[in-house]
Amino acid sequence: MHFDLGIMHIPTLAPEVIFHIGGLSITNTIINTWIAIIIFLIVGIIISKNAALRPTKLQNFLEWTLESLFAYFDQVTGDRKKTIAFLPLVGSVFFFILLSNYLGLIPGTGSITWNNIMLFRPANTDLNLTVAMALTSVIVSHLVGLFSIGVLAHLNKFIQIGTLIRSLKNGPIAIFTACVEVVVGIIEIISEIAKVLSLSFRLFGNIFAGEVLMTVMSSLVALMVPTPFMLLELFVGLIQAGVFAMLTLVYLTVMSMKPHGEEAH
Amino acid sequence: MNFIDIAQASTEAVSHTAEGAVDEGLLASLGLNGQLFISQWINFAIVVAILWFLILKPLVKKLNERQKMIDDSISNAEKIQKNLDRSEKDYLAKMDVAKAEACRILTQANSEAEVVAEQVKEKAKNEIEAVVLQAKKNIGLEKDEMVSKLKQQTADMIVLALEKILSEKIDGKKDKELIEKAIKDMK
Repeated sequence: MHFDLGIMHIPTLAPEVIFHIGGLSITNTIINTWIAIIIFLIVGIIISKNAALRPTKLQNFLEWTLESLFAYFDQVTGDRKKTIAFLPLVGSVFFFILLSNYLGLIPGTGSITWNNIMLFRPANTDLNLTVAMALTSVIVSHLVGLFSIGVLAHLNKFIQIGTLIRSLKNGPIAIFTACVEVVVGIIEIISEIAKVLSLSFRLFGNIFAGEVLMTVMSSLVALMVPTPFMLLELFVGLIQAGVFAMLTLVYLTVMSMKPHGEEAH
Repeated sequence: MNFIDIAQASTEAVSHTAEGAVDEGLLASLGLNGQLFISQWINFAIVVAILWFLILKPLVKKLNERQKMIDDSISNAEKIQKNLDRSEKDYLAKMDVAKAEACRILTQANSEAEVVAEQVKEKAKNEIEAVVLQAKKNIGLEKDEMVSKLKQQTADMIVLALEKILSEKIDGKKDKELIEKAIKDMK
């Protein structure tokens, strides 16, 4: 075991394995995820035990954060009930990404090494995690679609055979439109895959780049110079959490709505 | 620490990535790995569970409860205000009725008092008249009595006087004068 401080170590794309439990590899990003889980668990136990109509300071702060988020979420969903229905996923995504990003800014992350490997690394610089979250968002949005507008209506957004069959009664122009829509449906399928890619790579890229930037800056000049970049990273961390959460919310909202122009067919 | 170190470190990172790409393909070079992916997915599920059940759900519940309490309080306050307004209106209406009643009672009492006063006056007048009448009657009786007593006494005196005179020597001349005088008096 060898602790090593101050030697620059530019993170690789892949998270590094710190140790193994049984056959399972535990990476430095998993450790940061666990730290986030422990923090959430502590806050969660405090909140769930002490939640009261007259809030304490912590509850008050969290309620203020939540109400501020609701203001944005309501603009997307247009309905507070929907916002709260989607909150388990969207709220979790937002708070988890935010906390993970900010944990990555704590001094020591990226600089404390163990056996020449970073002991802590921001959780979102692991594509496994960002892809897991992005996949969850997209899959849940499809489940929401299946349950809220019906299996056939939802599937018809992608494989538009229903539209084609209905168009047969309405003459050649309708059939032509339906054929176009079939192709659009295929593009929709591709766009669903693109959603996963864009969500996961955007978050990974931003946070990974930030981590590399911070490492380089702090190794060039350790004092003062990294501070503005750190402030920038605080901003980026919040923005990325917001972007991921808002996009997830948009996917959920769009999937829970009836397909556009359904009544016209 | 200088730029050479940075260059070296980045070269290491790139070569590591490149080696990974050659050895294990694109996904592995990006760090994607089945086991790690499942681990992180489970971690994320744990995060969602903790965040929702321990933090967000209790907070949302309290927010809703507070919202409901505020709504209830406002509607209660409105109800109370309405009741208050109605009670005030009722009170004013009852006050008006009571005032009118009081006024009526006063007027009635006044008129009754006038009637009673009139009656008392009338009665007093009658009684006074009766007393006066009685007094007059008594005076009359006393007068009559006095007159008769006077007549009696006068007659007695006359008789005495006559006896006195008659007891003196009465001659014809005196008799004649007396008779004439008596006749004269009687005229």
